[in-house]
Amino acid sequence: MAYAYLFKYIIIGDTGVGKSCLLLQFTDKRFQPVHDLTIGVEFGARMITIDGKQIKLQIWDTAGQESFRSITRSYYRGAAGALLVYDITRRDTFNHLTTWLEDARQHSNSNMVIMLIGNKSDLESRREVKKEEGEAFAREHGLIFMETSAKTASNVEEAFINTAKEIYEKIQEGVFDINNEANGIKIGPQHPTTNSTLPSSQGGHQAGGGCC
Amino acid sequence: MSDSEASRTAAEGSEAPEDQDASPAGTPDGSSPTAPDNSTDVAPTRKARRRPEAKPAAPVEDTPKVEEQPAKTLAESTVSQGGWGYWGSWGKSILSTATATVTTVGQGLTQVIEKAETSLGIPSPTELSAQVEEEEKEQDSPAGGDGSDEAVKADVDGPSAVGSAMGMLSSLTSVVQNTGKTVITGGLDALEFIGKKTMDVIAEGDPGFKKTKGLMNRNATLSQVLREAKEREELQTAETESTDSEKKVVAHYGMLFDEFQGLSHLEALEILSRESESKVKSVLSTLSGDELVRLREELDGIKDSFSLVEFDDEEVDEKKDEDGSEFEKELTEAMEGLSVSPDKLSKACKSACSQITGMTKPEPSDEEEDETKEVSVEEVHAAAIRSLAELTARSIELFHKLAEMILFSNGSTEASVLSQLTVILCKELSLLSKKFTSCLTTAGSNEKRDVLNPLITGVFLEASNSASYIQDAFQLLMPILEISHIQRRAESSEQ
Repeated sequence: MAYAYLFKYIIIGDTGVGKSCLLLQFTDKRFQPVHDLTIGVEFGARMITIDGKQIKLQIWDTAGQESFRSITRSYYRGAAGALLVYDITRRDTFNHLTTWLEDARQHSNSNMVIMLIGNKSDLESRREVKKEEGEAFAREHGLIFMETSAKTASNVEEAFINTAKEIYEKIQEGVFDINNEANGIKIGPQHPTTNSTLPSSQGGHQAGGGCC
Repeated sequence: MSDSEASRTAAEGSEAPEDQDASPAGTPDGSSPTAPDNSTDVAPTRKARRRPEAKPAAPVEDTPKVEEQPAKTLAESTVSQGGWGYWGSWGKSILSTATATVTTVGQGLTQVIEKAETSLGIPSPTELSAQVEEEEKEQDSPAGGDGSDEAVKADVDGPSAVGSAMGMLSSLTSVVQNTGKTVITGGLDALEFIGKKTMDVIAEGDPGFKKTKGLMNRNATLSQVLREAKEREELQTAETESTDSEKKVVAHYGMLFDEFQGLSHLEALEILSRESESKVKSVLSTLSGDELVRLREELDGIKDSFSLVEFDDEEVDEKKDEDGSEFEKELTEAMEGLSVSPDKLSKACKSACSQITGMTKPEPSDEEEDETKEVSVEEVHAAAIRSLAELTARSIELFHKLAEMILFSNGSTEASVLSQLTVILCKELSLLSKKFTSCLTTAGSNEKRDVLNPLITGVFLEASNSASYIQDAFQLLMPILEISHIQRRAESSEQ
């Protein structure tokens, strides 16, 4: 399970928007309708492939409750990517985005790639936030945007992988200093045989030792 | 260097009569033991003594005496060893540091030491003394040379006969301290060399030891060390996988530990600990006078309860707690009042226990094991390492969750509760490692010793490493209790 890079992600957003469910869907490919409240932070990991390179995503799934905020903020630092999640069926979770964004920008490095996620897209009938609103917010603040459903797995892979692609591009452009671990990127153990020689059968996305 | 001086005085004191005998004579002779006569000038040692001749002194006289009078040597070495008592234990402590995490290894340790000893490749005692003599030649003060030469001979002879690694070290340390400053550097090099060599030898038998080695070499954080170890293992696995067609059952502690999210929890715990520490510091910097003194005292109280904890390896009966329910009970009791559930940990322990039961019972208790196939030692070993890694990861997770809850709820958590928890966890790890190794011994009754022993050592080593990680994680909780205390204090004063 050697990897070329390790990216640290954080998932943030109001409580109950489906952060832990998104993670579970991504790492274990399953959905749990009832999820325990996250205390502090929980973890997940999975290996993905970008540009023929194995990349390990180490995901820090934070508690959404306001009262945990002072603790979870501590974990923002050193993240390369953030998934900022709101619930399309709850307007208030969308309204709180500005606060979350400010918080994230303040406590993490400026290059952090942020993906805005409107979750629960399967509950179209209960939608309170239009897709266009999400897109507009993302455009305004320079974020990537997607609507997902942790329940149907729609766009879940894409959300995590597109974030990684953006980070990867930034590495290629030299925006990220990969030798500075504060950027949330670690270089994998150096191989005598490079990763490009890995069999192409591994082209698909492989589930790593995901566990929660 | 007061110790060295003190011991030298002791050494010189013991030889005082001879010194007086020799000095007036002023002859660097005495190579012939029977006739300490000035005229007899044939000794082979003579050559080596040329230099000291400038200031006629005793060394010449002493050397033959050592060789000829075993009784005297014995007496002298006893005296001098008394003087070097500190140094002896110093050498010993180096070794015990080197094997700090091997303390519970038991039979494994003996094997490691034996192995380390035979392959140390350090100069033989005779070579050493020859070297010392040579270095001595370069010394201007013959008085210094005098004591040392005798000392070296005496001491080298003694412990090497005992033939223990400890003895070897203590003989070397006495070389170091007795041959004066010029040799000290060389002696320390030798010690360092031995230390490295010993660790290499130990590490050879178990890759896990490298973690410990890494821990001691750098000031890195625990999670960094573990991560590096894991990366090395990943690399090794990748290499062996590409070469070995057949898949072998190899258990890599570090990789497994990471798989159970132990690394992530440790990293998170470290973040919380660091932040709390800096918060405590900044609070202290704003206080002054009585207030500062009072708070410092209170914080010292917390510190004390962290430093006074003793994790003594009390004897655990491996027959006890067959299914892990006792551990669960103990754990639940210790965790009473803490708003964190130890479920994952108890589950991990129970699964380890059931694996052990499954492997010890000859009849296949599992449905999956349809054949009465015997469990291989590799399988037992893999199960052991996996269980240890899981249990440790879950313990770290528990500590991390506790840290979060302490910061979150700001309720008062006693350090003693946390230390009690740490003791329970370490005891359980020790118990499990014993159960697994007795499983190994049974499974490997037909195996050769050199197949079985490294596996047993490996299990004990990882168990001991696990206990160290847990104890380190426990220490990380200290700043968290401190800041929690400060916050509670502030709240109560506000009211």
